[in-house]
Amino acid sequence: MKTIVEAKQIKKVYGAKGNVFSALEDIDLTVMEGEFVGIMGPSGAGKSTLLNILATIDEPTAGDIVVDGINLTKMNEEQLSAFRRDKLGFLFQDYNLLDTLTVKENIILPLALAKLNVEELERRADEVADKFGIRDILNKYPYQISGGQKQRTAASRAIISKPNLILADEPTGALDSKSATDLLESLKDLNEQDKATILMVTHDAYAASYCNRVLFIKDGKIFTELVKGKRSRKEFFNKVLDVLSALGGGANDVI
Amino acid sequence: MTLFSLARKNIKGNFNNYFVYFVTLVFSMVIYYTFTTLQYSEKIQESIELSDTMSFMFGVSSIILILFVAIFILYSNSFFTRKRKKEVGLYAILGLRKKTIAKMLFYENLIMGIIAIVIGIILGTLLSKLFAMILIKLMGSIAEVDFGISILAITQTVIVFMVIILFTSVQGYRLIYRFTLIELFYDEKKGEQIPKVSLITAVIGVIFLVVSYWLILKPFPDEFTTEYLIKNYGIAFVALVIGTHLFFRSVTVYLLRLSQKNKSRYYRGTRIIETSRLLFRIRGNARTFTVIALLSAATICFLGATYSGYYSNEKRAKEVVPFSYSHLSKGPEFDSQVESIIKADHRHPIKAQLDIPVIQVKGILSFQLDYDINPVKLISESTFNKVANALNKDETVSLSGNQAAVIQPRFTEYTKSVFKGENITIQLPQGSSELPFVHMVESNVLPFDYPDFFLVVSNEMFAEIAKKEAPLTYKVYEVENEVTAQATSKKVNKLVGNDFQVSSSFYTEYKQGKEGNAITLFIFGFLGLVFLAATGSIIYFKQLTEANEAKGHYEILRKIGVNKKDIRKSIKRQSLFVFGLPLTIGILHSCVALYFTSNFISNLIGINLIFPILMAIVFFVIIYAVYYVLTVNTYNRIVNK
Ligand SMILES: Nc1ncnc2c1ncn2[C@@H]1O[C@H](COP(=O)(O)OP(=O)(O)O)[C@@H](O)[C@H]1O
Ligand SMILES: [Mg+2]
Repeated sequence: MKTIVEAKQIKKVYGAKGNVFSALEDIDLTVMEGEFVGIMGPSGAGKSTLLNILATIDEPTAGDIVVDGINLTKMNEEQLSAFRRDKLGFLFQDYNLLDTLTVKENIILPLALAKLNVEELERRADEVADKFGIRDILNKYPYQISGGQKQRTAASRAIISKPNLILADEPTGALDSKSATDLLESLKDLNEQDKATILMVTHDAYAASYCNRVLFIKDGKIFTELVKGKRSRKEFFNKVLDVLSALGGGANDVI
Repeated sequence: MTLFSLARKNIKGNFNNYFVYFVTLVFSMVIYYTFTTLQYSEKIQESIELSDTMSFMFGVSSIILILFVAIFILYSNSFFTRKRKKEVGLYAILGLRKKTIAKMLFYENLIMGIIAIVIGIILGTLLSKLFAMILIKLMGSIAEVDFGISILAITQTVIVFMVIILFTSVQGYRLIYRFTLIELFYDEKKGEQIPKVSLITAVIGVIFLVVSYWLILKPFPDEFTTEYLIKNYGIAFVALVIGTHLFFRSVTVYLLRLSQKNKSRYYRGTRIIETSRLLFRIRGNARTFTVIALLSAATICFLGATYSGYYSNEKRAKEVVPFSYSHLSKGPEFDSQVESIIKADHRHPIKAQLDIPVIQVKGILSFQLDYDINPVKLISESTFNKVANALNKDETVSLSGNQAAVIQPRFTEYTKSVFKGENITIQLPQGSSELPFVHMVESNVLPFDYPDFFLVVSNEMFAEIAKKEAPLTYKVYEVENEVTAQATSKKVNKLVGNDFQVSSSFYTEYKQGKEGNAITLFIFGFLGLVFLAATGSIIYFKQLTEANEAKGHYEILRKIGVNKKDIRKSIKRQSLFVFGLPLTIGILHSCVALYFTSNFISNLIGINLIFPILMAIVFFVIIYAVYYVLTVNTYNRIVNK
């Protein structure tokens, strides 16, 4: 099986001399193709920082990252942008939809930017819209739809360019439980049927239970790792809760 | 922390945002100060021919300026205050009383205003001297610019701007009271919805524009009355204003929507982002765009027209006063006195010296002409040809019998065809005689004096009439380099008195025209600059506000994988639209209006006005381009770090 993410010794330090703060310390991370990996940890543990670094939105202070065989640290801004556009898909807690575009325009944006031809673009838009059940709202604007619909729109946008890696930062954070479950089910389908590789940050044990494997981070370091294996989702959920309580206060108060 | 120091801190923090507004404010103060200084400057006025006109014109234009600047300041301030609602809301949450916040805003505005005034006065004192030099140069004078500090101008500037600033400060103070806390927190977002396309209003907008253009470009009627002027151009103006507003409100929306229909273009690259952003913002900008387009149109138009006047002054003067000096002969003693003055001026040697006999008679035209022709002035064919020769003109006439050629009356537009086949009956002591018109010529002979109806008749005819009706003799001189003959012209003018409605020496007419045109050009130039600066600053500020709101928008784009270069390009395209659209419409309007005025002007003086008008437009485009670059850079810095 192919390695999609290979991160070694990632460090991230904020601030200038005298007043430095280390957000990530020597993080190693490997994600194989087709994995659905969760990242958990208390608030301020460095989860978003890690995800942003993998997403090439942020730069590590030190360390090497290889995604799909490409070394990120060696690329310039323009190459990184193209890389993000072609290889990565994003999902954020606050959806990050453009409020001046319709749902459909939001979804096809990555393809429009890649200058794909219109027929192909329309075809793929229909395909993902069906997958996430948002065909009826394609011509609406983000301010006219619900949070769950927004997140499904964002998810459609994330996968439309058939990315090698989908990165999600607390995608269910702002959703009610029904919408959250819908989205997680969709992500699971995507992972199982389309063999999509997903890396999802969450502090919600329920969301994490959908993953194959969960990494726990505390104070910028990997604390432990939990693999689902043959367990049922319910059992895995309980395991996750166990680790969280071992991880200490920080994790629970944000749930 | 005292309120005062909090206010000071706020200004510092917001300085980047206010910078362009501040510079514009200072700039308008400098111009106002310059205008008032010139209004009161006796030194300059002593040295020019048009002194009382100058004082009056600067007085009037400083009033126009201040009205405009007041509106600009008020508008900007209400804009700032609205933008800062959130900040104010935060203070309120933190427990500051409304009264305290209002006071703080009041101080803020006041401090900034006072700083602007101080800088404005200092720069004004320095720059007004430079500007006055520009004016003097334009007027072609050689006066020393030596007005030091004008206490009167300083006092007036300070008082006028203090009043405006106090007024806006109070306005800001009151604004806070009008909002409830909840309003302070939740604003901004709500208004932004995708505008609906209304084909009807778009069509109505286009119709209004077409009608107004048509009314403006319509050829002049035969009879040009005030009533027609008001009716025709009044309607045209109203239609233009409404049409322009509807254009920005609906037509652009319609066009943008239309451009979205072409999917293979719209769904390609960043166009999808720009188009949709513009579409969302257009309603909020429509009014500003309208004001800017109309203001630009008016300024370009006035500037173009005045520059044309300035540009064509020499030609006009030469037409009004054809010879360097002209006077009515009043006996040999008087005539030689004049001649000796002119001859004494060795720097301006005489090129030609002529006697022009003119017979004044009563005449009746064979057709209706709305020009009072009596007394008709007759000159002989040979006189006319000598004049043409002396003035280096190719026009000659040759007449026989009782044929006559009319010289086109100045400031009229009669063409050859008006006189063709017609005749004039002149009454002479020995009975009347009928003279058929065979020509119309355009070379003038004597300085303008109403009614300006000259007839050229054959030499024999002239001699015949002269036997009964003694001609008046005019003496005319053409000298080298007449445009500098200041001293001699003064002396001649004084001696000769008022033989004509205009000056008897070319120099005076030329110089007065030049000065008058220079003053208007100077005024319109600087008023135009202030208009431009103010409107540019408003667009700049609006764009800046938009940039701050759009930060998240661009962050998303970066995450999706648009690189910095493309974002910058996208910002450029958007800003180009925002600056370019009102400017293009403004230029279009002004071209139409100028077509009308230049038709009017060039018919009168017969010269090509393309160059001066083009200059005015280029001047406008350059200034806007500066604001455009400034906007793109700041916008880029805000959203694309
Ligand atoms: N731009 C920044 N400057 C300084 N510190 C930052 C910055 N971004 C994040 N941090 C700090 O790094 C730590 C990790 O943040 P983050 O990755 O957002 O945590 P989380 O696990 O909650 O997503 C936090 O303590 C945060 O305060
Ligand atoms: Mg986070």
